[in-house]
Amino acid sequence: MEKKLFGVTALFNTPDEIIKAAKGVRESGYVKYDVFTPYPIHGMDDAMKLKPSKLGYLTLGFGLTGTFIALFSMWFTMAMDYPMIIGGKPFFALPAFIPVTFELTVLLATLATVIGMLTFFFYFPNNSHPLHDTTFMKAVSHDRYGVCIESIDPKFDITKAKTALSGLGGYDIQEIYYPEKSDIRLFDPKFIVFLIVVAAVTSGAIYFALNKLVYMQPFTWMQHQQKLSAQAETKFFADKFSMRPKVEGTVARGYIPYEFKGLAAPTTEIVNPTFPSEKNLALGKKKFLTFCSPCHGNYGDGDSRLRGQFPNPPSLHSAKVRGWNDGNLYHVLVNGQNVMPSYESQILPEERWAIVNYIRVLQKAKNATLEDIQAVRKEGK
Amino acid sequence: MSEINYNYDQKVLPKKVLNIGLGLLVVGTGFGLIGLLLDSQRFLLNYLIAFTFLISVAVGTLFLVALEYVAGADWSVPIRRVTEFFSSTVPFLLILGIPLLFNIGSLFHWSHPEAIANDKILQSKAPYLNTQFFIIRFIVIIAIWSLFWFILSRNSKKQDTSKDQSITKRNIRYSAIFIPVFAITISLISIDWIMSLDPHWFSTIFGIYFFAGTVLASLSVVTYAVVKLYENGYLHPRIKKDHLYSLGALLFAFVNFWGYIAFSQYMLIWYANLPEETYWYLNRWEGMWIYVSLLQIVVHFLVPYSVLLSQPAKMDPKKLKFAALWILFAHLIDLYWLIMPNYHSEGGSSWIYLLEFAFPMAAVGILCVVFYLNYKKTNILPVGDPKLEKGLNFKL
Amino acid sequence: MKIDYSIEAPAIEGRLSIAQIEALIAKPLDSKPDKKFLLALSVSGSALALGAICVLMTFYFGIGLWGNNQPVGWGFDIVNFVFWVGIGHAGTLISAILFLLRQKWRTGIARFAEAMTIFAVMTAGLFPALHTGRPWLDGYLLPYPNQHGLWVNFTSPLLWDVFAVSTYFTVSLVFWYVGLIPDFASLRDRTTSKLKKTIYSIFSLGWRHSHRNWQHYEKAYMLLAGFATPLVLSVHTIVSFDFAVSIMPGWHATIFPPYFVAGAIFSGFAMVVTVLIFVRKIFDLEHIITVNHLEKMNKVILATGMMVGYAYAMEFFIAWYSGNPIEQFVFINRAFGPYYWAYWIMVSCNVLFPQLFWVRKFRRNIPLMFVVSIFVNIGMWFERFVITVTSLHRDFLPSSWGYYTPTLYDIGILIGSFGLFFTLVILFTKALPVVSIAEIKAVADGAQPTHHEEGGSH
Repeated sequence: MEKKLFGVTALFNTPDEIIKAAKGVRESGYVKYDVFTPYPIHGMDDAMKLKPSKLGYLTLGFGLTGTFIALFSMWFTMAMDYPMIIGGKPFFALPAFIPVTFELTVLLATLATVIGMLTFFFYFPNNSHPLHDTTFMKAVSHDRYGVCIESIDPKFDITKAKTALSGLGGYDIQEIYYPEKSDIRLFDPKFIVFLIVVAAVTSGAIYFALNKLVYMQPFTWMQHQQKLSAQAETKFFADKFSMRPKVEGTVARGYIPYEFKGLAAPTTEIVNPTFPSEKNLALGKKKFLTFCSPCHGNYGDGDSRLRGQFPNPPSLHSAKVRGWNDGNLYHVLVNGQNVMPSYESQILPEERWAIVNYIRVLQKAKNATLEDIQAVRKEGK
Repeated sequence: MSEINYNYDQKVLPKKVLNIGLGLLVVGTGFGLIGLLLDSQRFLLNYLIAFTFLISVAVGTLFLVALEYVAGADWSVPIRRVTEFFSSTVPFLLILGIPLLFNIGSLFHWSHPEAIANDKILQSKAPYLNTQFFIIRFIVIIAIWSLFWFILSRNSKKQDTSKDQSITKRNIRYSAIFIPVFAITISLISIDWIMSLDPHWFSTIFGIYFFAGTVLASLSVVTYAVVKLYENGYLHPRIKKDHLYSLGALLFAFVNFWGYIAFSQYMLIWYANLPEETYWYLNRWEGMWIYVSLLQIVVHFLVPYSVLLSQPAKMDPKKLKFAALWILFAHLIDLYWLIMPNYHSEGGSSWIYLLEFAFPMAAVGILCVVFYLNYKKTNILPVGDPKLEKGLNFKL
Repeated sequence: MKIDYSIEAPAIEGRLSIAQIEALIAKPLDSKPDKKFLLALSVSGSALALGAICVLMTFYFGIGLWGNNQPVGWGFDIVNFVFWVGIGHAGTLISAILFLLRQKWRTGIARFAEAMTIFAVMTAGLFPALHTGRPWLDGYLLPYPNQHGLWVNFTSPLLWDVFAVSTYFTVSLVFWYVGLIPDFASLRDRTTSKLKKTIYSIFSLGWRHSHRNWQHYEKAYMLLAGFATPLVLSVHTIVSFDFAVSIMPGWHATIFPPYFVAGAIFSGFAMVVTVLIFVRKIFDLEHIITVNHLEKMNKVILATGMMVGYAYAMEFFIAWYSGNPIEQFVFINRAFGPYYWAYWIMVSCNVLFPQLFWVRKFRRNIPLMFVVSIFVNIGMWFERFVITVTSLHRDFLPSSWGYYTPTLYDIGILIGSFGLFFTLVILFTKALPVVSIAEIKAVADGAQPTHHEEGGSH
């Protein structure tokens, strides 16, 4: 196969020579030529009569794009999609958006400049260029200066180009040919094995990360934390209780200790200090439904859903209970009776009396006489 | 290199410059005095604007001279004399400040004993903000500046004939001492003359803010003069666009610096939203002031920024002249914005505001006169400076 | 010593030829690592390992291991973050600002300083990431449409940090890589090893030293420098906003942005000097990184040190001037309160010791500049400590005053951060050219044409 010619190269020793050579090549009318120097040489733009680089427009364009994207997205997120008042600032708080706007402008501008330069201006990456791996490239990469006249130049003629270059003082004049096509073997077993290994490792890693790793400490989204949880055992305290008992000798705010605790029901000593107002009864109803109804039922009939599972809770409408005075009811509530525990620590004194009042209302309602009904009707009118 | 003979005949500056300067000075002072008669407080503040403007240019140029020595810059050596000429305004500041020193009472709230008596904060500031100390500070600071100006420019002139390299070395030393002194004194001057107009307000960046404006103003005065001289062939023929480019780039850099400092101050006060600080900006956000405040962004930042952004613009004499004059104007607006909101009027006719251009005009006149007189006396090219050859050879 | 001001000092000394320069710079890459290298690597590696253990413990048990608590909720994490970001400022400053100022002496140190920038920013980035407590969820810091329907708070300075630091890292990396492309090409054409050649070919992207490329390349480099310069300022400004937008006395000062930037340049230059002193000696680069260069760096250290001193003084003065008793208390407490030692370490290391550099002899004395640069590093670390801790530990409510003490984990992570930074630096010296080959060639004697065209630019 005939090798295809890329161009003719020549080397020069000093920067002055290369400037002269570049000028000479340009003046002989060549357009498809290039100068190769290990570092940028001052004055070469002028010698080659290159037009100023247009890279700046790319930078400007993408910089402004960055500005716009930043401002728009911040306006959208902070003022449109999910407006929130933060620090008393307006939704679109321009001064506070300037830092991010600036950063995004710079980011887009620089990335566009570099990526644009490498791809659109240089057509990089390009490691298969015919000049690579030549002694010419090694020389200009090191400390020589070179010129290459390419064969696609309309005026190109191999002998004329060579004489032109040697006339300008160039030496080591070479013909550079395109490299022969090297085949890339996709089905090489080594490559196939490599692909399989990559696939196996990647999928294994993903499986592990998504199915195992996220359930391991400490990646468990804070499911396991070193803290006390109520009702659970703990290693932190010697008695293994998470919930701590009251410190001895302390009294919780509002819970004045009951003076007849553990004694027989006093019948006359304690008197209901509250008036069964509407508000008081509402409180009583709420507390009754919370604390009493689970056993005694919603209306105090002793018919709750616990019936049959425990010793049956008594009805509050029995003649015995109806015959008790308020103090007696209060005493049972605070002290407990039979299987009923004390509710002293759960219910405040004021609420206890409210419950007593509410029980009285229930009793009256369940055992109302005709006169009562008439009285209510009269009042209603 | 001291053997090089620059064989350079200095062209005579036309008398026009002096006449324009004197004309501006006389007309400006005249109208200013009329204003003073009509509304003394307003026109005292106006005088203060012109005065701080002159401080900016005078000590700013002195700073630029010192900066050249310390940074070891070459490119600015051939045009250093222009900067030096303007810096010789420094000693005059003492004279120009006298009318203000006699009127401290009408300018500064803190100078009234009855105001201090009812104000805890002013009482705590009294050791610093009191009339005697204020006057002493002012005189000492101007004296220090004048001393440095005297040493630096005398040495520089001496070198024209002696061509002694040791003078450069000495000037570098004095400049190195001057720069930290300058940093402190310019901050004190800005706090005294501008920030304390509103004695309750405080901002730690204020000195730097004024410094940014100072450098901008002095750079643009120098740029304008250099471009004008360059265009008309008064400078050495080897001074090229590369030198202009450096001036343009510096202007551009300081436009950015000013924007950065101004934004930092505004941002921090706006964000923290403390009443003791924000009211200062709120005063500048009320009534017509909101337009001046917004104008600041456009005039002081956006316009010069866009004019000087591209590389060719930084060496285009026309654009540079425009940018320099524009920034000078912007600095005046800036000073107006800093100082004028402290004026509390009780009505009065508004047409006299038209006279407000008077004192700044006189200040520009003083600069012209000072430049003309110095140009007449002194070589525009520092022929004895060892770095001159490098400076003339300067290429981008 | 007499200086002739009419002559320009050469950027590189010893009249090296271009070939010699390349050989000198490429030497560490061609030789096998020696004992000194391995020793240095093992020291920094041990520090790194110590830090890694502390970090893993922090991952597992959470940041309760640290000393942060009420009232000092920001401790070593933010101190180290600001410290390392500050170190990271010298590199881009040297490569960008000095490039724009056309200072030729930058060529010898720019590459190294850029590398240090990248490593310092990587180190700095660790701390906020760790302080979130669950670093693997840090993706929440980025604004993306998510299942919660929430966005990040764009008005928060902490979020600005995310953008600033990541932009800064990206741009520095790109800047660094762009500078490396021609060097990769030179190394590619120089090496005899096939493997190295492949690697260098990939990274050189097929660079051919063509002038048609150089032209755009130079333009791009200038644009990058033009962008990197304000970027450097913006990054530390935004870091200062973390503090200064608050209403905390001692944090809320309008001078913070320029003050932080000056401090960052100050500490960054000091770190560059510290490291370069060794690098130039070990790799025989005394002709390329000359004493003149170090002297210029010391001048910058002196200048920025005084800027920092100006800021300290201004803060103190305005605190008094403001007439605000709380503001005044904070500053008195800084200097004479329980953390007085930190304050005075800061002042003496940052303001007093650099004053030695007024004397030319001291600026050019290598042992002395090493000591001063170490002092500056210590002082700048303490500056951040003072700002963070002394402002927080006694705030408005005296009942919640406290004293912050770091735990061993805090200290371990700090040591580990130095380990990470120096491990990366040491590996870099062996893996990549520590000085830009192409740039140094361009400023060598006789590297540029002697005769310029009349009226030609350049």
